[in-house]
Amino acid sequence: MAKIDLSNISHTYNPLDSKPTYALNPFSMTWENGKRYAILGPSGCGKTTMLNIVSGLVRPSKGEILFDETPVTDLKTEDRNIAQVFQFPVIYNTMTVYDNLAFPLRCREFTKDKIEERVKAVSDTLNLSSFLNSPARKLTADQKQLISLGRGLVREDVAAVLMDEPLTVIDPDLKFRLRRNLKEINEQYKTTLVYVTHDQNEAMTFAENIIVMDQGEIVQVGLPKDLFEKPKTTFVGYFIGSPAMNIFHSTVSSDHEVKINDTTIKTNSNLGNLKDKNVKLGIRSEFIELAEKEKNNTVKIKLTRVEDFGNFKLLTGKMGNLVIKSKVEREKPIPDGELNLYFPPEKCCVYSDEKLV
Amino acid sequence: MSKLYTFLKYFFITFWTVFVVAPFLWAVSTSFKDFQSVNSKVTYIPWLDFEPTLEGWRVLIKSPAKGGVDIVEPYFNSIFVTCTASLISIVLGTLAAYALSRFTFKAGFVRNNDITFFFISQRIMPPIVLSIPFFIFLSTIGLLDSLLGLVVVYIVLLMPIAVWIMVDFFNRVPKELDETALIDGCNPYQAFYKVVLPNSIPGLIVAGMFCIIFGWIDFFFAFILTFTEVQLLPVKVVALNSSITPWWSLSASALVSVAPLIIVAFIVERYLSKGNLSGALK
Repeated sequence: MAKIDLSNISHTYNPLDSKPTYALNPFSMTWENGKRYAILGPSGCGKTTMLNIVSGLVRPSKGEILFDETPVTDLKTEDRNIAQVFQFPVIYNTMTVYDNLAFPLRCREFTKDKIEERVKAVSDTLNLSSFLNSPARKLTADQKQLISLGRGLVREDVAAVLMDEPLTVIDPDLKFRLRRNLKEINEQYKTTLVYVTHDQNEAMTFAENIIVMDQGEIVQVGLPKDLFEKPKTTFVGYFIGSPAMNIFHSTVSSDHEVKINDTTIKTNSNLGNLKDKNVKLGIRSEFIELAEKEKNNTVKIKLTRVEDFGNFKLLTGKMGNLVIKSKVEREKPIPDGELNLYFPPEKCCVYSDEKLV
Repeated sequence: MSKLYTFLKYFFITFWTVFVVAPFLWAVSTSFKDFQSVNSKVTYIPWLDFEPTLEGWRVLIKSPAKGGVDIVEPYFNSIFVTCTASLISIVLGTLAAYALSRFTFKAGFVRNNDITFFFISQRIMPPIVLSIPFFIFLSTIGLLDSLLGLVVVYIVLLMPIAVWIMVDFFNRVPKELDETALIDGCNPYQAFYKVVLPNSIPGLIVAGMFCIIFGWIDFFFAFILTFTEVQLLPVKVVALNSSITPWWSLSASALVSVAPLIIVAFIVERYLSKGNLSGALK
C-alpha cells in the first residue's frame, strides 16, 4: 500500500521519429493510499499505457513515478511490488489453482504457513476454495479471471492493484458481486485499486474518483457526481451518461443567457466576457423536465420518438434541426405532437472552445 | 449419394492404409526369409509359403569377420549423434527463439524476421552447397571422421528447425504471461523457465521430434564427413547392399532403423492429439 505520484509523465512509442506521436501527453497526478480509482476512456486513449507505466512494464519517455515519495521510475517491474490484472485471464496453465495463487508469494519467499493463510483467505473471498487442487487450465474463463484477480490480491503489502478491464469476460451477475467484493477488499485492507474500463457504469459504481481520458490527455478527474452533472468538456458530456449529454450550438445573448435558434435559455454561468460569441449549451436528458405550458427556459419540440426502457421513457424530439433527448418517468403521460421542455438553469452547462465556462 | 460418399471414403482410407502398411508388412515378411525363399517367388505366409529364418537378423549383429555386418556400433553412434545434436539444438534454438519472439532487434536493415530467415535459410540451401565448407571446416579443426564433428554439423542443421518451430510457438504464447510473471515477482530469467517454458512443452516436443527425425535420417553428411573411424546407421545400411542384394538383412535393418522413429511418433502423437498447443490466454 502506497501513495503513488505520477509527476510530469508522458510517453511515446516512437521516440526516434522526428515528430513522435504521444500515447500519453504530459500529466501529473496523485493516487492516494487506499482509494479506488477508475480510468475511463475510449479504446486507444492511453489507459493501458498509464497502467503499464505504473507497473514498470513500460518506462515513460519523460517524468517520474514515486511510491510513497520514493522514485521508482528506474525500478524493474518485479521490484515494484505492484499487482496487475489484464483484460483476458492470464493463468499459469501448468499449475493448479492453489499454485497459481501462491506463485507471487513464493517468488517473494514468504513462509509456507503465510502462503497457506493468504491463499485460503483470497480463495474464500473469490469462491475458489473448492477448486484449489484442480489444474487451472480446466476452469472456465470467468474462473480463470478470478485466479488472475486472486494473484493480484494475495499480497497484502502490494502498493496498488491495477486492473485493466478485468471483468470483460465475466457474466453480469458475477460482475456485480465481484465489484462489491473488490469494494469490500478495498475497505477492509485499504488496498489502492485502479480500475481501467471503457464502461461508465462500471466506473461510476466502483470508483471514488474517476479519471476520464481522451487521445492521451486526462480530460477530467473527479467524483462520479461531478462528472455527470458538471462535465468539464463536451467530450466528457458525450462520453459519460446514457444517452450522451444534449449539446447545442448557441450564441451568448447576455451575462447569463444563451440563444438556441430563437429561444433564450437562462443559465447560472457567468458569460459576461463571451457576449455574442458562439458557444455550446449542454444539458443532461435526465435534467430536462416536461412542462405543461410555455414559460421561461422552455423550448418547444416536435416529438419524433418515444422509447420505453422499462424503468424510464426516452423522448426524442426536434426543435428546428436540433435533436433533443429527455428521460421521463415511465408512468408520466406523454402528449402527442408538440411538447414544452424545461431546462433548469442550474443544470445548464455552457462550453466555450469545448471547455466548461 | 451419401452411401456413395461413405463407400468412396472408406475405399480411399482402406487403399491408403494398404499403401502405407504394405511395405512394412513386406519388409517384416522378407526379413524372415532366406536367399532361397526370396528368389523362388514365395509370397507372404510364413510356415506355409516359406520356412522363417532369423538369418537376416543375425547378420546385423555378427562381426564382419564372421560374415555379418554389425550395425550395433553404428546404431549407437546414430543415437548418440542424433540425441546430443537435437538436445543442444533445442536448448540453443529455444533461447534464440524466445529472444526473437520477445525482443526487437535492429542492426542496420536487419530486423527480427531477417534473423529468423537467416536461421531457416540454412535448411533452404541444397546440402551439397554446405558439404565442402563443412568438410574443410571439420578437417581444419581436426574433427573429420569423428562423432563430435558430426554433432557440430548436425547442430547447424537441426537448430534452424528448432528456432523456426519455437519462434512460431512463442509468438502464440501471449506476452501478458511473461508480464504477469514479472509482476508476480520473477526476474526475466525466472519468468522464462518457471512460466513460459513449462507452458511451451508441447512446442518443445514437436521441435524435438522434428530434430530427431531429421538427425536420424540424414545420410548425406554422415556419408561425406565419415570414413572408417565412425559410421552412422544410414551409411551402414546402404553399405549392406552388394552385387546380390541381401533383401532379408536389408529388410531387417530397415525395420530396426525405423523403430526409434515409430516410438517417437507414438509419444509425440499423445501431445499433438491433446490439442494443448495453444498458449495460456483464452
